[in-house]
Amino acid sequence: MLFTTLNFAAFLVVVLVLFYALPKPARRYLLLAASLFFYMAWNVKFVALILGLITIDYFAALWIIRRHGAPRRMALLVSLFANIGLLGWFKYANFVRETFLQLAHPGITVQPLDIILPLGISFHTFQSISYVIDVYRGEQPAITSYVDYALFVAFFPQLVAGPIVRAKEFFLDYFNWRAPSGEEWQRGIAMMLTGFVKKLICADQFAIAADRYFANPQAFPGLLPAWSGTIAFGLQIFFDFSGYTDIAIGVALLFGFHFPENFRRPYLSASVTEFWRRWHMTLSGWLRDYVYISLGGNRHGRARTYANLMLTMLLGGLWHGASWNFVIWGGYHGAVLSIERVVWGRGEKRGLVRIPLAILTFLIVNIGWVFFRAKTLAAALFVVGQMFTRTAGELMLTPIQIKLAVATLAVALAEEYGGLLTRLTVSPAWVRTVAVVMALLAIELFTASDQSLPFVYFQF
Amino acid sequence: MNETELPGIRKAIEALPREQRRALLEWLIESERGVAVAEPAPPAIRKPKPVRRPAAPATLRQAVLWSIASIAVFFLLDAAIFRSGWYLRYLAPDSTTGQLELNVFWLRHTLPGKAPEAAVIGDSRVAEGFSARNADAGAGDRIHFWNLGVPGSSPRDWYYLLRDGDPDHRRFTALAIAMDRYSDEDGGENPSNRMSDLSYSVGRLRWSDCPDFAESYDAPELRRTVQTGCLFRGVTLRRDVQDFFAHPLARFRAAKAWRNDGKGYIDGYGGKPEDLTGLSVDFGTGAVNFPPGLKDWQKNSVNGFASSAKVPQTGALTAYRKLWLGRILDLYKDSPTRIIFLELPGGPLPPPRRETPARFIESVWRRPRVTVLPGETFRDLERPEFYADGLHLNHAGRPIFSERLGAKMAEIAGSR
Repeated sequence: MLFTTLNFAAFLVVVLVLFYALPKPARRYLLLAASLFFYMAWNVKFVALILGLITIDYFAALWIIRRHGAPRRMALLVSLFANIGLLGWFKYANFVRETFLQLAHPGITVQPLDIILPLGISFHTFQSISYVIDVYRGEQPAITSYVDYALFVAFFPQLVAGPIVRAKEFFLDYFNWRAPSGEEWQRGIAMMLTGFVKKLICADQFAIAADRYFANPQAFPGLLPAWSGTIAFGLQIFFDFSGYTDIAIGVALLFGFHFPENFRRPYLSASVTEFWRRWHMTLSGWLRDYVYISLGGNRHGRARTYANLMLTMLLGGLWHGASWNFVIWGGYHGAVLSIERVVWGRGEKRGLVRIPLAILTFLIVNIGWVFFRAKTLAAALFVVGQMFTRTAGELMLTPIQIKLAVATLAVALAEEYGGLLTRLTVSPAWVRTVAVVMALLAIELFTASDQSLPFVYFQF
Repeated sequence: MNETELPGIRKAIEALPREQRRALLEWLIESERGVAVAEPAPPAIRKPKPVRRPAAPATLRQAVLWSIASIAVFFLLDAAIFRSGWYLRYLAPDSTTGQLELNVFWLRHTLPGKAPEAAVIGDSRVAEGFSARNADAGAGDRIHFWNLGVPGSSPRDWYYLLRDGDPDHRRFTALAIAMDRYSDEDGGENPSNRMSDLSYSVGRLRWSDCPDFAESYDAPELRRTVQTGCLFRGVTLRRDVQDFFAHPLARFRAAKAWRNDGKGYIDGYGGKPEDLTGLSVDFGTGAVNFPPGLKDWQKNSVNGFASSAKVPQTGALTAYRKLWLGRILDLYKDSPTRIIFLELPGGPLPPPRRETPARFIESVWRRPRVTVLPGETFRDLERPEFYADGLHLNHAGRPIFSERLGAKMAEIAGSR
C-alpha cells in the first residue's frame, strides 16, 4: 500500500478515526493490527518473517536484562545473527554468490537465486538491532510487553522506509503519550502534503529525465547529458526519499508520535561532511552510534579514525544495495569525508563562502550518485568519464524541469533561512487553508506520472 | 553526585513539560555520543527568525476541523473548476475529452430546426467518412443530419455523449450506430479495459457514475485508476490543464473558435484528398503492395488493416457491446427515435470475412424501433479509390456513403 494511493488515504482515515474513538488501552492493539495489515497489503507471507524477528529480539532483550555474563552475550549474538543473517540472506545472498562464482570462474554468467527482498527489511532490522544493543549497553530498558515492542518495530508510518527510529525516541512518546496539540496536528498535515508534493510532483518529474538518461547513457554522449541526467537523479532521489519520510513523520504526528528529522535540505550543504549531517540523518546517526563508535571512532589516532570512517561509509554504501556500485559509492563518500577532514577540519563554513562551497558540494555529491544509479560499473565509469569530456551534448532536463529545480531551490532557501513550514503552520487559518488547497490542487494537476510509482528507497 | 539525589532529580525531570524533557533527552544523547561519523560541529543550521504565533494556539479539535474544512474547500474548488462546466469549455478542442465535449456543447446549444433530425454516431470512421451535408442531400433535405463521430471513441463514450447531449432522448427521428463489423470476434484488446474511454467520457461522468463506470472495467487494477480519475477529474485532465497553463490565451482563443465555428467547419469538411488506387493485399500472408507515393501514415494504417491475426476468443466484445450498446438502446427504449445499426465498409479492399457469430446484433434486431441494416449494404465501397488510408473513406468515398446512408435512414424513419 503506497502512501501516494487513495487506498492509503482511506486506510489512514479509518485508523485515525478508530484510534481516537477507542479507549487509550485499546489503541496499541489497533495500531499493531493496522501496521500488520499495512505490511500484509504488500505480502501476506512475509508478515511471519517480521513477527519472527520481533519475537527473537523481544525475548533476546528480556534475556539480556535477566542474565549476566555469557548467556547475556549469547542473547545479543542470537539477536544480531537473526537480524543480520536474514538481512544478509535476503539482500546479499545473490551478490555474495555471484562474486564468489565469478572469482572462481571468471566470465561465468551467474543466474540469480529467486529471492524476494522483504519490504523494509533494511529499516526494521536496523531498528531492532539498535534496540537490542541499547538494552545490552544498558542505555535502554527492555520492553516487557510484546505488543509494545512489536508496535515499535512494525509501526506502519516508518516500517517500510524509515526514518530509523530509536527505541528511546519511540518509547518516550509511547509511554508518555498525549494527543497531539493543534499545532502539531497542523504540522503533521503540512508535512504530509509537503511529502506528497515532493514525491508526486518533483521526484516523479525528475525521474523522467533520470530514467531516460540512465536507461542507456551511451546513447547520450557528452558533458551536458552526463551532468543533467545525474543531477536529475540526485533531485529525484532526494525528493523521493525525503518525501516519503515527510509523509511518515506527518502521519506519525497525527497519532501523537514525534519521529526524528531525516532530511534537512542536504543540497544546501557547504561540505560533504555537512551533507551527511543533513542527508538520511537517522541512518547516519545509526551508523555513527553502532558502527563508527563501536569501531573506536576517533579515539585511536588519525589513521584509525580515517579507517573507521571509510569502513563505516563502505557499510553504509552496502546497506543501500547489494552491488559493487554501492560499495564504491560508500567508499567515495568515505574518501571525500576523510579528505575534507584533513583539509578543513570540522568547522562549519559561514557567510557568502557557503555559496561556491555549496555548489562544489552539490557537484561532488552528484558524482557519487552516478555509482548509485548506474546499472553497471562500466556504465557508471562511462558517465563519470562523460562528466569531464569537452563534448557538450544534449541537456536531459526539459525547461519545465529546470523551472521546477529553480523553484524548489527557492523554497529550500525560504525554509532554511525563513522557517517557511513553521511559519505556515502557525499562520492564520485562512492562509493555511489556501496553502492546503493549493497543495492538493497541485498534486491533482501536476503529478508527473499517471501511475503510482514506488518510492526509490523501497528497494533498499 | 550522591545516589540518593537521583530520585529527586528523576521527579524533577518528570515534572518538566514534555518539550523540555525532549530537549533534555536530546542533549543527554548528544553528550553521550561524544563523536560522530561526520563529526558534528556547532549547529549547522542558521536558526529561523522567531515566528509570530497566534495569540491562542489551535486545539486538536480545532485543527482537525480546520483539516476537514480545508479538504472540503478543495473539493468545492475542484468542483467549481471541473464540475461546473467552466473548464470543460476551455478543453483543447482536438483532445479526446475536448472532441466529445464539443459534440455535447453543439447538441445543447443548437436548437432543432423545422426538419426532423437524425444522427450518426461512431468513431473516426464516421467523423472522417460521414458528411452530414451529403446525408441531408441524400435524404432530400427533409432530415437534418448530425455527425456525432468522435475519433478513437467507443460505445462506452457514445452512451455518455447521447445521455447528456440528448437528455430527453427525443431529439432524433433516427440514430445510426456505426459498427466496424457486426461480428463479435474478439480483437487484440479487451474493449472493456480501454483507458482512453475515461479520457473521452470524463467530462460527462458524474460522481454517481464513478462506481459503475469503474466496475465496467474487467481489470481490477484499472478499476482503481479509473475510479480515481472519475472522482478527481483534474487527475484525468492533467495533461490538458498543464498545456492550458503553458498557453492560456491561445487555448481560450482556440476553444472559443471551435465552439462557435467548429460545427460549421466539420459540416463543410470535404474529406481527405488521398486515395489508395493500385493497392493490393495478400490477406493470407499480410503482404501489402503499395502504390507509389503513399505517405507513412497511409502505409501504417494499411499495414494495420492487412494484418488480421486471430486471437483467443473470450466473448469480451460481445459482453462489452451488450453492456454499452444495450445501455444506448435502453436510453431510447421509450422514445420515438429509431435506432439503426449499420456495418461500415471494411476497408480499401474487401477483407476476408470469417464465419464468426454476431451475437449482439442477433440479440437486438427483433427489438421494436431497432433496424439492423444488412452487413453488405456498403461493401461495394471497399475499393482503394474510396479510401485515404486503411480505415477512412476519402473525399470520393464519403459523399457516396453519406448520401446512401442519409437516404436509407430517411426511408427507415419514414420521412421520405
